[in-house]
Amino acid sequence: MISRRTLLGTSAVAAATLAAPSILHAQAKTLKITTWGGKWGEIMKATVLPAFEKEFKCTVSADQAFPYVPKLQASPKNDPLYDVLHTNSNEQWNCFTEGLVMQKITAKEAPNVADVYPWAVSDKIVGVAIFTSAIGLGFRTDKGLAKPTSWKDLADPKLAGARGSYIIPVNSLGQCHLMMLGKIYGKGLQDLDAAYKALEQLKPIKLVDFTGQMEKMLLSGEVSMGVIHDSGVYRYDGQNQPVDFASPSEGVMALEQVLNVTPGSKVKELAFGYIDYMLRPDTQKLLAEGVWYSPANKKVKLDAKYDAKLLTTEAKVATLIQPDWKWYNARKEDIDARVTKILKG
Amino acid sequence: MSAPLQTIRNKQPFDAGRAAYLTLNGLLLAFLLAPIAIVLAFALNPTPYISFPPVGVSLRWFEKFFRTPEFTNALLLSLWIAGCVLVLSIVIGGACALALARGNLPGRSFLTAFFMSPLMLPAILTGLALFQSYLLVGIGRPVWGLILAHTLVAVPYVIRTTLAVLHNFDRRIEEAAAVLGASPTRVFFEVTLPLIRPGVFAGGVFAFIVSFDQFPVSLFLVVPKGETLPVVLFNYMKFDLDGAIAAASMVSILLALSVVLVLERLIGLKAYVKL
Amino acid sequence: MTSATIRLDDVTKTFDGRVLAVDGVTLDIAAGEFFSLLGPSGCGKTTSLRMIAGFELPDSGRVHVAGRDITDLPVHKRDMGMVFQSYALFPHRTVAENVAFGLRMREVPKPDIERRVKAALAQVALTGLEERKPGQLSGGQQQRVALARALVVEPPVLLCDEPLGALDRKLRQQMQFELKELQKRLGVTLVFVTHDQEEALAMSDRIAVMNHGKVEQVGAPTEIYERPRTRFVADFIGEINILEEAGRARALRPEKIRLVPPAEARVAGTIETANFLGGSTLYRIRAADGRTLLTRETHAGERSPRAPGDPVGLAWSDSDAVALEA
Repeated sequence: MISRRTLLGTSAVAAATLAAPSILHAQAKTLKITTWGGKWGEIMKATVLPAFEKEFKCTVSADQAFPYVPKLQASPKNDPLYDVLHTNSNEQWNCFTEGLVMQKITAKEAPNVADVYPWAVSDKIVGVAIFTSAIGLGFRTDKGLAKPTSWKDLADPKLAGARGSYIIPVNSLGQCHLMMLGKIYGKGLQDLDAAYKALEQLKPIKLVDFTGQMEKMLLSGEVSMGVIHDSGVYRYDGQNQPVDFASPSEGVMALEQVLNVTPGSKVKELAFGYIDYMLRPDTQKLLAEGVWYSPANKKVKLDAKYDAKLLTTEAKVATLIQPDWKWYNARKEDIDARVTKILKG
Repeated sequence: MSAPLQTIRNKQPFDAGRAAYLTLNGLLLAFLLAPIAIVLAFALNPTPYISFPPVGVSLRWFEKFFRTPEFTNALLLSLWIAGCVLVLSIVIGGACALALARGNLPGRSFLTAFFMSPLMLPAILTGLALFQSYLLVGIGRPVWGLILAHTLVAVPYVIRTTLAVLHNFDRRIEEAAAVLGASPTRVFFEVTLPLIRPGVFAGGVFAFIVSFDQFPVSLFLVVPKGETLPVVLFNYMKFDLDGAIAAASMVSILLALSVVLVLERLIGLKAYVKL
Repeated sequence: MTSATIRLDDVTKTFDGRVLAVDGVTLDIAAGEFFSLLGPSGCGKTTSLRMIAGFELPDSGRVHVAGRDITDLPVHKRDMGMVFQSYALFPHRTVAENVAFGLRMREVPKPDIERRVKAALAQVALTGLEERKPGQLSGGQQQRVALARALVVEPPVLLCDEPLGALDRKLRQQMQFELKELQKRLGVTLVFVTHDQEEALAMSDRIAVMNHGKVEQVGAPTEIYERPRTRFVADFIGEINILEEAGRARALRPEKIRLVPPAEARVAGTIETANFLGGSTLYRIRAADGRTLLTRETHAGERSPRAPGDPVGLAWSDSDAVALEA
């Protein structure tokens, strides 16, 4: 396979030497991607995507409207709705099992993959991860609580009714939390029986659908401590909010931002080019500092403020625990039934 | 409506049944209006998160809403689509209702049920099915595809309200026009249409609101940069749960309300037909 | 105003292919005649009228107006006036607009429309109500608007489907006089459908009594009343005594029976009930032979007080007992 740079070089020559129609043809290419909304989406639309379009002489159609996976599933495999699927790791695994996305993106397709931390291309990842958040504990600093050091601190009886987690069937942070319970109260991430027992002990607990709600519950003081990803707390940095994030000593769970290419994409080289672009140190720095995500590229140098909090060294990266979504997704229905029963009471 | 109540009041100074009736009505009304009041409180509350009770009054979320092109573009798109849906569904729904009520069609009750079926089907499935059909046919997801999808779920409302008017329609009125020398076409435009108009437009108002608020059908059918307001709000909520959502809801409610009022003024929704 | 003859020629109409609504009806209505179709509900009178109007197409038979076969002519080309029981006014139009409607359809010039609408409303005494909507009028006023609307186009034929049925008794009687007077003045041929025999007797030049889709008898009111041809006609119109004599049924009106001293009596009996009706009293008498007979005594002079239980004698002349068709 030819590398992206070779390809670009070739097309640059072609553009210079061939007649106008082929230029038009090259310009008419559209890359269809999914991407997040919120602050991330703002940066993407304001800076990242326009620069990419200019450099790669294409247009990017970025879908910010959920749900990506059902839309992709419903579209024809030989003409998929997206060329690049950006989503969390658990959904990537689902798509991979259905043959909707590729297994791995390697340095051959996107040269910058050579510079990523091992977690971004580990066996727990399909495609390639470009960022991760750390799932740990968010807490109020104004409630006389000591900064939590262990996941077990969430079980403190004082927090009855003031602790928060997620509706496990619909939220991957909730799923991560469940696996973590297995690890700290049982034999490991896959010790579901121990996890169920521990979950029972956390009642009464406030449950939400998605992380935005957890942020608001922490901000409004409805919960004093809750499971959340670091970026969900750090994004309020400088706004004088009495909330902070704690990484428990047992480790933090990884919430990876994963990019992957659909096998049926008609613009695969462009898709790989996009992934490579997203892994470039300057793109990584821009987004990492914009939304408090830990970058996958080892070469990124963040400003001190971000560097202090995000996972930017081998040592800090070592605290990341990556869930085995293939294992989890295979049992999801049983788990859903079980936890729904536990949390209903 | 008020006359019988008046009589009851005059006859009996205090009536426990009536007091219970009024209390129940008051509670129902409060139940219906409470969400709007709460949304308004959130929209005016300056804190960056939804909190209760509110700590103050500010228009910053309204400002944010109108300063954010994603919101304003989506609002305009939603209004434009709902307007198209209104027109399409009163034409299609009105014609369908007339055919059903007057056409002497074989299998009329089956046809009625068939036209109503979009109401029975979960809207999310309608959206998904149309999404797949559009992709299969290869037309992509054009705006008119979204308009058509909204029309599909809006038409039953127009059919229902029009059928209700037609059901109570005194056909002698049309016969009287015919005897007086009006051809069938003139009878339709001079008599039938003006008389079913309140029903058609009442359905049209439903159609407008069904489209303007439509989320499940739109979910699969919107394209990047062509998202309707409910879809934009839904996605916004996943990342930023602040007062802009509440402000957007208030703007939606006020817009929908003003459309209803304008239609009422222009066309006169109140039926002058004795139903 | 012009008027026209109407002829129904062996007209038959079935509904849903089963119910025989009109069964071989033949009628000749003269120009300028006030002609009533009288019968109980479901007798086919309204269906006959609707076939004249063109709302229903006969299964067989022809409809002629002014000597012209109009069976296949659509309603709006028949140039008739019609008044409905429900008035069928256009609720979304004013009184003036209602009345003007037929003129507009005939493309009458606007000034003429205004003039004729004004005249028509004056004719039915509704001047000043031009801008009202039908919903703001009383039943009697709506009735007049309907009449004005039908007559303003000067139709040769006016069809009325129980037009007074929704009015109260007093108003109905007043309208009966007005309608009759108007019809005579205009000379229009009027076909009047009613189930009210008093109304038919009071207004009509001739009456067709209908039953089960057939015409039982056609004749002037006096003829229908005094010489009913069938048991149905005799029974449907007013009170009647049916006498079975020598296997032949005879109809005898109660007022033809005199109350006489027992010596002069044809039949003796006792009064069972006495219904005082104001101008007369209707007695039900149990005859010695077990029959029940009705007799009406008018109170021209001093009222002779009789009470239930009183013995009476009854007398009548044979010529008053009309032989009925078997």
